Amino acid sequence: MRKGETLGVVGETGCGKSTLGKAILGILPVGTQVEGKILFRGRDLTMLTNQMYRRLRGEEIALIFQDPMTRLNPLMTVQDHFIEEIQAHEPVSSTEARTRAREALISMGIHEARIRNYPHEFSGGMRQRIMIALALVLKPSLLIADEPTTSLDVIVEAQILEILQDLKQAYSMSLLLITHNLGIVAEVCDRVAVLYAGKLVELGSVRDIFHKPLHPYTQGLLSSIIHLETKELHSIEGSPPDLIAPPSGCRFHPRCSFAQSICMEKVPPLVEFEPGHFAACHFGDKFL
Amino acid sequence: MSAPVVAVQGEPANELLRLDNLKVHFPVKLPFIQRLLQREEAVVHAVDGVSFGIRAGEILGLVGESGCGKSTVGRSCVRLIKPTSGRIFFAGQNITKLGGENLRALRRRIQIIFQDPHASLNPAMTIGRGIGHPLWIHRSAFGPQKSGSEAFGQWVRQRVLNTMREVGLTPEEQLYDKFPGDLSGGQKQRAVIARALILEPNLLVVDEGVSMLDMSIRAKVLELMLDLKRRHGLTYLFITHDLATAKFICDRIAIMYMGRIVEIGPAREIYADPKHPYTKALLQVIPIPDPDKRKEKVLPRGEVPDAVHPPAGCRFHPRCPAVLATCGWEGRDFVDFLDEHLSDPKRAGDDESIVGPIEGWHADGLVASLEAKPMSVEKAVERVETILAEAPVAMTQAIESVSAQKRTVMVRFHPPNQLRQTQVQDRLVECLLYQ
Repeated sequence: MRKGETLGVVGETGCGKSTLGKAILGILPVGTQVEGKILFRGRDLTMLTNQMYRRLRGEEIALIFQDPMTRLNPLMTVQDHFIEEIQAHEPVSSTEARTRAREALISMGIHEARIRNYPHEFSGGMRQRIMIALALVLKPSLLIADEPTTSLDVIVEAQILEILQDLKQAYSMSLLLITHNLGIVAEVCDRVAVLYAGKLVELGSVRDIFHKPLHPYTQGLLSSIIHLETKELHSIEGSPPDLIAPPSGCRFHPRCSFAQSICMEKVPPLVEFEPGHFAACHFGDKFL
Repeated sequence: MSAPVVAVQGEPANELLRLDNLKVHFPVKLPFIQRLLQREEAVVHAVDGVSFGIRAGEILGLVGESGCGKSTVGRSCVRLIKPTSGRIFFAGQNITKLGGENLRALRRRIQIIFQDPHASLNPAMTIGRGIGHPLWIHRSAFGPQKSGSEAFGQWVRQRVLNTMREVGLTPEEQLYDKFPGDLSGGQKQRAVIARALILEPNLLVVDEGVSMLDMSIRAKVLELMLDLKRRHGLTYLFITHDLATAKFICDRIAIMYMGRIVEIGPAREIYADPKHPYTKALLQVIPIPDPDKRKEKVLPRGEVPDAVHPPAGCRFHPRCPAVLATCGWEGRDFVDFLDEHLSDPKRAGDDESIVGPIEGWHADGLVASLEAKPMSVEKAVERVETILAEAPVAMTQAIESVSAQKRTVMVRFHPPNQLRQTQVQDRLVECLLYQ
């Protein structure tokens, strides 16, 4: 991921996109086996101690969860959320923390007088704006947004996406947007990563992915979008595999109409078919 | 089993369902003291005067955001909710107050499918038993020739297998004894559809029936619904927040906002040329899956207001980008505007010390008033007028007067124009722009 870019991570339920976000932040359940490296500004995050990770979260990498209704503590006022977070990272007085909280709220269009209110006194869209303000108050350089608008109404969703884009500019931060909604990806992302059954199957610029997808799964996913110009319905045969015993070779082969015997036998490597456009398909060049 | 048949006058004879000024108000639970102090009872105006008809064999889409009352309409049609007032007709029969055996008979003809297939299936029942369950519940309706328990059980099993095949839940013999937990999301929704179909209903209410399914399987389930419509002449009330899906499947569309239908008409015309500003807004926010077609959007402000005290006049007016002076401006709109103004330190300057604090303002109907400090009434009136120069033009035009009475600053609005459903081309629109 480059500095200042918006990378969309798309996939269906159970493809591992949320797990990916949690892995970056080191908040996977205790005992989860993690292999490989997560390099953030040259540092391998998997090597961090718990204490180092606590510093990093919020300060350098922040996360917005899907459901703003349940992610704020109902027993804490909005200002307490901010004070807790700021003081966990910086040795500042409560007064200063409060001032910063107030500024953060005003930048989100919420009246500062409401800083002493409890989460239940806000609407869904406002709660999501508070969540965003909380995530950004320490000015992280990477924001991970896991389905930030899924539980919101369509108009509020558009409002929140607008806010996220403006803030990305203002704070010059990178945004990792995890979503199942390809329409949103087309509207806000610079690059896209497509996940299927726990594997990265395609990675490229938003134009590459939408205009010349190389992986049959990406193609199927794109044609199954229902939008205003849809004339004919398309879907992908079958359903996503059981990840306890995933299919051999390419995990998509049981649902793929182009599958050959090699697809059952060999795991396709992620290949750069054209500059910056990667796909994990034995026959990716067929679609170039 | 026969209830009095009441013909609805002036409506097409082939209408299967008709709602006539349907209202559903839910009481708000208040603490005892507040209940004593409150003069009138607080209610959520979930559905507030909805009328429409569905012709036999048609798919009517009921579209709106969460909390607009679309699900409440759907549940009222199945009589899971008792309407507060208004009437519901099914096949010419008034079903508003049906009860007992008559209501049970009605449920054989109207079935409902909910959003979450996982929550809709009993986890302790096998798929086959779950799908066949309605047949056991309505057993008495299937005649004495099936009175023998074993014979009936055989008949049910056969019918369940047939229905499973019909909805594509195959191999049906294997899946029959599986539990819901063993099935994928798409399969579960097929099982829910099979269960709804097993009584051979005439009307299916589908409440966000595909919203929880992944994109790659959503199309399949929609195709199944269209297919079942063709084969059985089914009629659908298709409730959704997704205008793109609705466009694909619906013959007619009703757009709902805060308990009212703001626009209703043939789907093709509404998508080609939306009339109501709310419909326009909803259409505009549907993302286009093409990075080359990104465009700036003009979004409605804010969020859906509280349905306990819906806005006066047109309920969309506080958010409407095309709002007029006569749309229903009232005292609290001024208070909201002032609140927004004062919360921006750059614009507010010293305004708060003269016209604030915002908590001092009270809105009552068309009037917003502030109990001012004794010396500054005139000054406050003056300042309110200065601030109003920044307000939306429609709001300033709607203000009748800004005045000082004794020590109170008052902002009074003109009463709104009466809002009526108006025929525009081939549809009904509830908006002053077209009246």
